[in-house]
Amino acid sequence: MSAAAQTGIAGQARVVVALATRALVIQTRKAQLLIPTFLLPLVLFAVVANGASAGRHLPGFPTTSSFVGFIIAGTLVQGTLLAGMTAGIALAGDIEGGFFDRLLTAPVRRVSLVLGRLAGTAVLTIVQAAFFLAVAFVFGARFEGGVGGVLFTILLASLTAVGTGGLAAAIALRTGSLSLLQSLFPLVFVMLFTAPAFFPRSLLHPVLRSIAEYNPLAYVVEGMRGALHADASLGSPLNGALAALGLAAGATALAVLAIYRRTATL
Amino acid sequence: MQNTRSDSAIVVEALVRTYPGGLRAVDGVDLQVATGEIYGFLGPNGAGKTTTVRILTTLLRPTSGRALVAGHDVVTDAAGVRRSIGVALQEAALDPLMTGRELLALQGALHGLRRGEAQARGSELLGRVDLEEAADRRLGTYSGGMRRRLDLALALVPRPRVLFLDEPTTGLDPASRAALWREVRRLNDDGTTVFLTTQYLEEAEMLADRVGIIARGKIVAEGTPTDLKERLGEPTIHVDLLDDSRLDEARELLRAIGEVGPGRSGGLAVRTSAGARAIAPVVRALDDAGIEVDTVEIEEPTLDDVFLAVTGQPTSAESDAVPA
Repeated sequence: MSAAAQTGIAGQARVVVALATRALVIQTRKAQLLIPTFLLPLVLFAVVANGASAGRHLPGFPTTSSFVGFIIAGTLVQGTLLAGMTAGIALAGDIEGGFFDRLLTAPVRRVSLVLGRLAGTAVLTIVQAAFFLAVAFVFGARFEGGVGGVLFTILLASLTAVGTGGLAAAIALRTGSLSLLQSLFPLVFVMLFTAPAFFPRSLLHPVLRSIAEYNPLAYVVEGMRGALHADASLGSPLNGALAALGLAAGATALAVLAIYRRTATL
Repeated sequence: MQNTRSDSAIVVEALVRTYPGGLRAVDGVDLQVATGEIYGFLGPNGAGKTTTVRILTTLLRPTSGRALVAGHDVVTDAAGVRRSIGVALQEAALDPLMTGRELLALQGALHGLRRGEAQARGSELLGRVDLEEAADRRLGTYSGGMRRRLDLALALVPRPRVLFLDEPTTGLDPASRAALWREVRRLNDDGTTVFLTTQYLEEAEMLADRVGIIARGKIVAEGTPTDLKERLGEPTIHVDLLDDSRLDEARELLRAIGEVGPGRSGGLAVRTSAGARAIAPVVRALDDAGIEVDTVEIEEPTLDDVFLAVTGQPTSAESDAVPA
């Protein structure tokens, strides 16, 4: 038995990979987790694409190759929010169901338990974002940013999902309450609509526009647009990357603190 | 079994756990479990069994006191404890969406096995608990017995020095219980120390080298099952009358000899520490009153009697009416 190896980086990396794999497998087997991450964003994407496409004729709406190409960044961010939220829900389910105790009695670092869950969310979001971009492409979106812009956007989505997943995991670890996490689902839409997800920031209501300044997702969604369409006037990819990185780092730190606090005060 | 600190797999000293709100679930527990021993931990629901196990497996911190498992302190060297133990907790915590093989592979990774090692160990354990055919089925389709067997296999992945089994057979049918008992005995024969909580006294009698009974957070009795029965149990004299219409009269007479309750097949049961020596006084008292006796039998005390004597309540298993 190489239990001692668990204290090394290689051992912990194996734990992270194993937990991420489990998170992905469960995600694909549970409709309650799969539908929000893959279906709901596409439903809203279809609704906005069909019901609000006239908005592109409003004064101040930027010129892009297609409305679908403009709004797909909002769909990607919605996907990251839902992927993160379902990660928290799955973790809360593990805590309530007792599975988390099995993990806690194993000789692994607590930080690996958090990183394993978030790594699963990151990989899930890479698949999800690629899928959403492919759907948008099929429906007429064109990405002037090329492969580099697409890959950068997928990376932003993945980092953002780590951030939202980290926040949800921190809440799950602090409360251990599945129902609380489920009740927070509407917050996804608050976060989404206080970011310029489907319309440019200049066309938002002044109140929403003010709130958007403090919403990191606003910078992420605009950064995605800037990268996808190679157009800095749509948003700064650098600002998007900084916002996504900051969110991911801050939320992961919160989740790690939450697991140490949980195990120290049990 | 003789215990000394040096060969103890588990040492618990003045362990206390108080929950928020003031509930003192564990209230000064002291115990030692020798290496290679099976220790049966008995108690009514809410007595502190599971809280004690959760402290010993590092899932809970003690409020005060000290506990060592395999030589590691549960607070200051929790990682050392985790490297030494296998745990099958009450209500097998299995993910219903995973297969048995997947869960064993995950458990292997958690315990430092490389992929190939984990797969080989998983296959070995699936065979050992007779789950090879169900290995690739999702756990949601497993019966209660299959889930318990898989839980045991998961606990064995790291080849633990100390194995914690928290009510491993609760709710199982007799055949599944017997199979699990055989496996626990086999593990113990291989040198694994087993800390077993149970509400089935029969299980403790079958498996445990020593038994500790906990009530209201305190150890109220400890020893081998035989020792406990001799020290704390009272034999029961079962008396059947030829004429049952005189039962009430007989009951009044026998109260002078011991505690009288309903016996088997409608007769009377007299519990007395005098044991077989009380048979003659019982028969004489009834005979003097002209009450004819059909049969008299003496029944040796069981662990149930001990449990009742020290906790003041019957075992949960009795009230649950789980098939024996």
